[in-house]
Amino acid sequence: MSDTKPTFLERMQNLDRRILYAILVVFTTVPLFIKTDLPVEPDAYTKALYYRLMTIPQDKTVFLQSDWTVSTRGENAGHMEALLRILMSRKIKFVVYSVGDAQAPGVYREVIRNINLERKEAGLTEYKTWDDYVDLAYFPNAEGTLNAIAFDVRKAFASRRVKDPNTGSDRPAFESPVLSKVQTVGDAGLYMIVTASSTVDRAVERLNERTNLAVMCTGVIGPSALPWYQAGQIKGVAIGLKGVYDMEYMMKYGLNHPDPNKNGRIEVPWAGKEDKSAEPVTEGKTFARGSLYYLSFHFAILLLIIAVILGNVGMFLGRKAERAS
Amino acid sequence: MINLLAQVPTYNFWRVPPLSGELWLKIGVTLLLCCGIVAFLMNAPTRVRRPVVWFFTFIAGAFYVALWIWPQPVSREPNTLPRDGIEGIGFLLNDIQPRVADVSNILTTILLGLGIYSLLRIHLSKIVKRQADSPFSIVLIVSMLAITLVGYMDWYMREFSVAGKEGKLQEMVNWTPINFAQNLLFDGFLQQMDSAMFSMIAFFILSAAYRAFRIRSVEATVLMASALILMISLLGGIVFAWNHGVANMAAGMHIPLANPEINEAGYLNNLKITSAAGWLRNTLQVPALRAVDFGIGLGALAMGLRLWLGLEKGGVTV
Repeated sequence: MSDTKPTFLERMQNLDRRILYAILVVFTTVPLFIKTDLPVEPDAYTKALYYRLMTIPQDKTVFLQSDWTVSTRGENAGHMEALLRILMSRKIKFVVYSVGDAQAPGVYREVIRNINLERKEAGLTEYKTWDDYVDLAYFPNAEGTLNAIAFDVRKAFASRRVKDPNTGSDRPAFESPVLSKVQTVGDAGLYMIVTASSTVDRAVERLNERTNLAVMCTGVIGPSALPWYQAGQIKGVAIGLKGVYDMEYMMKYGLNHPDPNKNGRIEVPWAGKEDKSAEPVTEGKTFARGSLYYLSFHFAILLLIIAVILGNVGMFLGRKAERAS
Repeated sequence: MINLLAQVPTYNFWRVPPLSGELWLKIGVTLLLCCGIVAFLMNAPTRVRRPVVWFFTFIAGAFYVALWIWPQPVSREPNTLPRDGIEGIGFLLNDIQPRVADVSNILTTILLGLGIYSLLRIHLSKIVKRQADSPFSIVLIVSMLAITLVGYMDWYMREFSVAGKEGKLQEMVNWTPINFAQNLLFDGFLQQMDSAMFSMIAFFILSAAYRAFRIRSVEATVLMASALILMISLLGGIVFAWNHGVANMAAGMHIPLANPEINEAGYLNNLKITSAAGWLRNTLQVPALRAVDFGIGLGALAMGLRLWLGLEKGGVTV
């Protein structure tokens, strides 16, 4: 039995996992109290999404398919909030529903309610159901519903009735100002999918030839959405928390937009697309959930990288010791 | 002349006024009929069940196959009449499609009921037999009943009470104990526990990265190098600083990062993290995923055909 004390590096190779967990908790929670606006270079596909959102004609209705629940709130809530802030600031009407999860309507309603409260506190006009947006709730069968939307959206939503606050009665959704001009899904200003699951694949399969699709998804789903973007079947993507922060950064500084506070410097250039530009969002919050979580995310990923490096250093030291003995 | 009655719904056997007695009667009779059919199928011998299940599977699949291969009407106006039989079938398939989608939505909803029935059967039997872990079953049943009951009461108040109709329940100051209970159960408990469960993955990933992600071969080294570049590319602050460092270095060496004379990016651009990560994504990751998608698509097509034609042993032939 050897009496030699293990070196610091050797001790680091056999860390108790409870210590690792404690470090992770500290690394991810402490930065939540530090508000920073880190400079970033948004991804090209997120720039494409922001450009699309900022150039939707104001008389067009956005179709919003929200297929996420609270398990992915860290990413999707930020997507949804950024999206709603952009639509509401641009006074664009939207129809929202889910084909992914029965819990999804409860979750997106809470986000809409919170953004409305935020606008009310800021002295901005609230979005009203029926006049500004229509909530069609949940469709359990994604394949069948998306197919029906592709063929005839008026028949697909024909059975859905929405409360008209002006009369207090339930009326067919297509009588609302939001959907009255919509004849086909091709009339949508943009078909947005906020998702944590493969419903993006279903939507591309059924709808990509009929309308313009764009996606906001979790980091896990992101890689499987990129082939659709590369093929031109979806027009823009925001992936994970980086996507949320990229969106918020562009909401603050615009895209290919000269910043008058910085001597006309363009904070977010779009290489190869210099002829296209999008304004920043002019009312309400810009930096929000993404800005709040992004520093924590940095620390968590750095900790992961350090853990991988430490594990491998330990393995090499162990092999070296074996060879020496 | 304008038809002022065009928007008035026409009622027939299949379409009756909402919330009418006739509607509830028809829902009740249909429910009983469906329960009877399900009970018959569950108790029928396999030789009877097999052709029935295969028949309905084939009919459901045949509709979507026909919808896919049959010529579809283009620019059809509401009053357009079909010119021939082929176009007539195209019109018919087009008209039936939303109804089939409705049926598929209803069938998927029935699965939810089936899930509740199955859950109750298993856990009530555990409680009655006082098996091990039966206290957990009690917690599950009580939680499920509580959130269902409170959820319906909250919905009823928001939809049908005077305060709900006037929209007063949108404001928290007007809430009743039921609304607070719903908020506590759904927003306070369910949502937070759901988020907490998902966030636990971070701990397992960290532990796995520390103990299992080891460079034991050339393939593992390539995998780890790619993973590190892609992980770092997610860290906007670090990427921004690194890329600016590269730009400053290029400026110091008087090398333009994008040289308009030779119309290509300077070689130093390759040192940017975004360039390396972009190359990995676009050149390696996306094509690999596309290949996987093709494989999955072909597999799904083969499996779909086997199920549709009743050839799958684990499917309708059981």
